[in-house]
Amino acid sequence: MSKIFISGNHAFAEAALRAGCQCYFGYPITPQNELGEYMADHMRKLDRVFIQSESETAAINMVIGSAATGARVMTSSSSPGVSLKQEGISFLAGFELPAVIVNVMRGGPGLGNIAPSQGDYFQATRGGGHGDYRTPVFAPASVQEIADLTYHAFDVADRYRTPVMMLSDGMMGQMKEPVVFPEPIGKLPDKEWALKGRGDGPSRYICSLILDVVEMERHNWKLVRKYDEIEKNEILYEEYMLDDAEIVVIAYGTTARIAKGAIKRVRKDGVRAGMLRPITLWPFPKKALADLCARIRQFVVFEMSTGQMLEDVQIALAGRADIVFHGRPGGVVPMPVEFARIIYREYQKMTKPQI
Amino acid sequence: MDKYSVFSARLIEQTEYLTSGHRACQGCAEVLAVRLVLKALGRDTIVAMSTGCMEIISSPLPLTSWKLPWIHNAFENSAAVISGCESGMKAMMRKGKLPAKKINFTAMGGDGATADIGMGALSGALERGHDMVYVCYDNEAYMNTGIQRSSSTPYGASTTTSPAGKASMGQHTQKKNMTQVAVAHNIPYVATACPSFPFDLIDKVKRAAEMPGPAYVHIMSVCPTGWRIPPEDAIRYGRLAVDSCMFPLYEVVNGKYRLTYRPNPIIPIRDYLSGQGRYRHLTEPDIEKINDMVGREYQRIVKMSDEV
Repeated sequence: MSKIFISGNHAFAEAALRAGCQCYFGYPITPQNELGEYMADHMRKLDRVFIQSESETAAINMVIGSAATGARVMTSSSSPGVSLKQEGISFLAGFELPAVIVNVMRGGPGLGNIAPSQGDYFQATRGGGHGDYRTPVFAPASVQEIADLTYHAFDVADRYRTPVMMLSDGMMGQMKEPVVFPEPIGKLPDKEWALKGRGDGPSRYICSLILDVVEMERHNWKLVRKYDEIEKNEILYEEYMLDDAEIVVIAYGTTARIAKGAIKRVRKDGVRAGMLRPITLWPFPKKALADLCARIRQFVVFEMSTGQMLEDVQIALAGRADIVFHGRPGGVVPMPVEFARIIYREYQKMTKPQI
Repeated sequence: MDKYSVFSARLIEQTEYLTSGHRACQGCAEVLAVRLVLKALGRDTIVAMSTGCMEIISSPLPLTSWKLPWIHNAFENSAAVISGCESGMKAMMRKGKLPAKKINFTAMGGDGATADIGMGALSGALERGHDMVYVCYDNEAYMNTGIQRSSSTPYGASTTTSPAGKASMGQHTQKKNMTQVAVAHNIPYVATACPSFPFDLIDKVKRAAEMPGPAYVHIMSVCPTGWRIPPEDAIRYGRLAVDSCMFPLYEVVNGKYRLTYRPNPIIPIRDYLSGQGRYRHLTEPDIEKINDMVGREYQRIVKMSDEV
């Protein structure tokens, strides 16, 4: 397979096509418009369905309907639009229906702006909708990873019958990089639970209204067992120059790329910095972090928010190491030199002899 | 327009409520419509504006073009937010906390905000009977996000999400008739307008504001960027849309139809379609079909208008 020079938004779409996405429902919002436009251009040729809905709420509910019939289905939006989709995501989780939701994050709260940001971490990982549920969240840090993880996300969604969130940002969406795409999928998995017309068998139903409290509790614990399985099997993270590291950066997505630049910079001056980059934000690589703090005292968290993943890091480290946070919310994209200064500062504090 | 009124450019309100220096594209007829609407509404106005071209170009904080009280809200909510403004002021006036006076509560949105995502909120506000004016600036697609189709995009137009090509002739559904949706709510005043006919537009917006209860004004706003026409032709295409009966100018006052402008002669629809990049792929049968649809709709309004 040859390399294609392609933007992040187009890569989401192309990877979804290759993963056998049969229906796409979307609604325009910057900075993810190119994704829907790519789908409008390509779905028809493949005899698949592209629909531009009248609102984000309609799009996510079309996803519910389509997923219930067993189709592989995707929707995409950016921060304010994903807020509107939350009700539908909660329903997908309650119904146990597979779907892929792409969030190309932008500055917030409110309408915010259209610059890249990481302010939707809480919404994505804590379950922005109502009820006891979790959503697997993938955070790609390159266009190649967008392609690979989107392809993978459809499998995870089908395997566990759960909505999966792709958490990206405006920079990832708009950026172009050379990408090698996975081969188009051959056969889609069978879905014996899907609604397909009654035929001769008994009628199936998909319902999340469970009035009996004991039954509802049972359903909740069933979901938890599923989430435990996901936590056991699906955690992904990248280790970067961790072997001899004394100070460790935790960052994801766009910020992780910038942090890599910062680490390369400080390494030239002999500062032994490394990075652990969570690729799945839920399930969060807690154990990997906990293992690290056996030998590392100083952690630095970089985010393009006011400190959201920071809380997951705090939970994982449980007070066993020092954490310093540096964030740039609201759409500011920091430079590697800015992160490098923070690493220098913390490294000096750490290595300076105590008086 | 009433026959006995005097219309002169000098008699139009001189004050500018939307200042220059905003970021609209060259030749934007939509921002011209906003400017004229605000001149018609005057000082005592509160504007709730949906996200869209007009919001983005006029308010890149800390800069603003607005010299009127103005609140921005998410895409779908301007009718709901202005309902709240109207209710809040009403309560304060009743209690004597504010002096009682007539305020023009105005909600504004593009065609996406009106015909697609905000239609529920608009319908609710019209049904509840708030004393407000809803102005829809219809440029026939989501221009702000890069020319995606809306339900107000006309049959045959090519947009980025209804691209014309071998497998598709562009938008294959018909334009949602929002004016008729508003009429179906039996509200006191519904009108269509176009900034290429400025006196007519100002007249209608004034009447909409004077009428107690909800009013709806649908304004055809030519978008050179999205329609793929030269910027200097924006006003001309507004005239062509009206003269070809693609967009008839009429008002519905308490259920009574009145055509405010009868094109004479009616120009062929081809003159309107040709020259627009979004229609360049259309074949003869397509144009014939559009001609039939437009003619039928115009005759319907003429008939309703003549009945009175």
